[in-house]
Amino acid sequence: MLFPTATFAIFFMVVLPLSWLLMPRGERWRPFIIASSYVFYSAWDWRFVFLLAFSTVWNQVFAVAIHKRTEPRARKALLAAAIAGNLALLGYFKYYGFFVTSTHNLFSLVDLNVPLEVRSIVLPVGISFFTFMGISYVVDTYRGDFEPVGFGKFAAYLSFFPHLVAGPIVRPGELLPQFDSPRDPRYVDTSRAFFLIGTGLFMKVVIANYLAGSIVDQVFGAPNQHSSLEVLVGIYAYAVQIYADFFGYTNIAIGLALILGFRFPQNFDSPYAAVSIQDFWRRWHMTLSRWLRDYLYIPLGGNRGSRLFTYRNLMLTMLIGGLWHGAGWTFVVWGAIHGTALVAERWWRERPGFVERRWTPWRRSWHRFATFQVVCFAWIFFRADSFADAWDVIVRLFTAWGEPSPLVTGGVVAAIAVGIGSQYLPSRFPLAIMARFSRLPVPAQAAVLSLALLVTHAMGPEGVAPFIYFQF
Amino acid sequence: MATGVNTRRRRPRQRVAEGSRRLQPAGSAVVVTLVALLVSVLLNAPGLHKSATIQPEGWKRDLALAVTGPLQAVSDAFLIDRPRAALKEALGRSDDDEVDTAVAVPKPTPTEPVGNDEPTTTPITREKFSPQRKLRFWVAGDSLVVVPGESLLRAAGGSPVLDPVGPVDGRIASGLERPDVFNWFKHVRKQLREEKPRAVILMFGGNDDHDFMTGLPEGTEIGAFGSPSWEAEYRRRVGGIMDTITRARGYLVWIGLPITRDAEQTSRFDAINAIVHSEAEKRPGRVSYLDTYFYFAGDDGGYAQYLTNDEGRLVKMRADDGVHFERPAGDLIAREVLRRLNQRYDLTSWRP
Repeated sequence: MLFPTATFAIFFMVVLPLSWLLMPRGERWRPFIIASSYVFYSAWDWRFVFLLAFSTVWNQVFAVAIHKRTEPRARKALLAAAIAGNLALLGYFKYYGFFVTSTHNLFSLVDLNVPLEVRSIVLPVGISFFTFMGISYVVDTYRGDFEPVGFGKFAAYLSFFPHLVAGPIVRPGELLPQFDSPRDPRYVDTSRAFFLIGTGLFMKVVIANYLAGSIVDQVFGAPNQHSSLEVLVGIYAYAVQIYADFFGYTNIAIGLALILGFRFPQNFDSPYAAVSIQDFWRRWHMTLSRWLRDYLYIPLGGNRGSRLFTYRNLMLTMLIGGLWHGAGWTFVVWGAIHGTALVAERWWRERPGFVERRWTPWRRSWHRFATFQVVCFAWIFFRADSFADAWDVIVRLFTAWGEPSPLVTGGVVAAIAVGIGSQYLPSRFPLAIMARFSRLPVPAQAAVLSLALLVTHAMGPEGVAPFIYFQF
Repeated sequence: MATGVNTRRRRPRQRVAEGSRRLQPAGSAVVVTLVALLVSVLLNAPGLHKSATIQPEGWKRDLALAVTGPLQAVSDAFLIDRPRAALKEALGRSDDDEVDTAVAVPKPTPTEPVGNDEPTTTPITREKFSPQRKLRFWVAGDSLVVVPGESLLRAAGGSPVLDPVGPVDGRIASGLERPDVFNWFKHVRKQLREEKPRAVILMFGGNDDHDFMTGLPEGTEIGAFGSPSWEAEYRRRVGGIMDTITRARGYLVWIGLPITRDAEQTSRFDAINAIVHSEAEKRPGRVSYLDTYFYFAGDDGGYAQYLTNDEGRLVKMRADDGVHFERPAGDLIAREVLRRLNQRYDLTSWRP
């Protein structure tokens, strides 16, 4: 059940009023929202509902057990078991094939045949997201950040449909307290919710889908059929496509939660306006960056050791972050490029005699430009099906200048300009739009939204492609 | 009065959030959402009705048609659909909301016998192509053709003789059963007329294993999938597409459907493959059927998602859905297609 579909619209129009009607009675609201979320999830494949239920039971049982025990060794052992269970689940469904093929091919280099069975395993949608949220819950309980909540409340937290299939990765401390008391039905931030949903739909349905169909799929499908200009614009177009796709999804998710009375953390903050790779990761998929920092980088030791130790931790975090995105070596390379850039930036800043210079407009522009180029270079490996494909794209980027470039149309350039330009808009613009919208009478608000839906639907392609991040 | 508290409900004080935007009651959120959706449904009624029409057959489609049909009538009667039409026209996509189910295929001629097993024996000359006179080819079909098509285009990129007429023309959820979803009969004619490809690589059938067809001739009804009436109509369409291409001097390579994870689906695909294969055999030298079944079967003859390639590496051949191809599978198919193009045309004698 994709967000930009009539089926979801009908589903949401049933859930929205009922959720508010049941809100004052938590013991009724929770079963209702859990049931709704499971219906939403079962629309992909009803069998995976059991997987979600298993993950819920597993994490709740271990969180309660960790909380009850006081002996550090027992608590640590329980935590390790809980995390191992989560990773085993993720490993089986997401990485089994990758592990078997990599092992087989590694041993075949020395003419050894390893009898590993390959199986066809379907990747359950959203498994990477709810597994990470489950790990957050048990780790935060172990750290004593909070006490485990009741089973119903945890089940509602883990399955809450706005974030279920592609995030944002909401921390227990951010959402569970909101389940403690009913949301106040008198004060709902509707103008922000509608703004987020409207912009999210436009970015996904119009910008992302248009760029995918107009240039990205062709360029990455057969790079040697295209000129260098087309390849270059195709790479930039992919950068915008993946941003518009995921930013759009996240905006819709945050907006839907907001109409239901719940606040999710921000997930994007103009990432292509970043002045460094470190800055980029503070702005791109922010909830994943936080998760990797708090549950991977810091437990690895963070920057609490020598410089080399910090660099190692940075690199490991980005390599694992890359692998989280997909079971393939191209994703590992994507992570390695970001990890290398982060290490290089850190080394540069920490070298003796380094003095932070003032940010002039020119210096800021140059840093933004350079950062964007590094990010786009890494996107080549993220999008390509194999190293050979990525290499073809890179080679073509330099070897076919001057050839005709029919794919570089005004529409493509305009869509890229919208995708990147929107990240340079001062934050006061959307705030002013939301404030003005909030002062409109109800019929006028409905009219504005109707027109936005008209434009989005009319400009979008027939049918809606799945969100890119669903595969992760 | 006992407590002395005024129990009358007072209108809540307006609260504002960041940027001085007003917070609204949940009731108004529900009303705004509901009204906006209803109005936008009327504004977009033609598009929604088309979306309902092209859905897979079943109760969902019936329900969607029952709802969107009257909505479209109301939208049309009160001119509510005009803004959408104007917007579509401005975008140059006026045809988007039209549903064209015409199955325009040429009538079989005596040289292309239909219904008997005698193949045409017209001698075929092996035409020469060179870097100065390239072989133009077009790759089209349903979503299954996309990956092999891209492999083919990449392979063609290394050849000075091959000239693709454009990107892979893969249309998701389309096929020969449902011209309402995408009218291939019309599109093939248009492409042949405008692009004049001399070789056409097609792959259809992945969405055609159903009991439901649109664009049936007046008074024609089809039975269940695989029944004689279904087969006769599907055969007419397959043969029609083949004739449309071959009469435009195009050589057609038709990629057969692969084995899939679902055994029932595989047996339905087999039925479709049998029709395509037999129609191709009636047009020797002009149509070549490429059987992909055993390319993707494991050692036990069943479906295999991973297979060992020529270099002895274990590679993922099939997508997680158990139907579509991964890149190594596309490369395998592309290699065989190129071999057939080389057999049919002289692509090498231009070399000194």
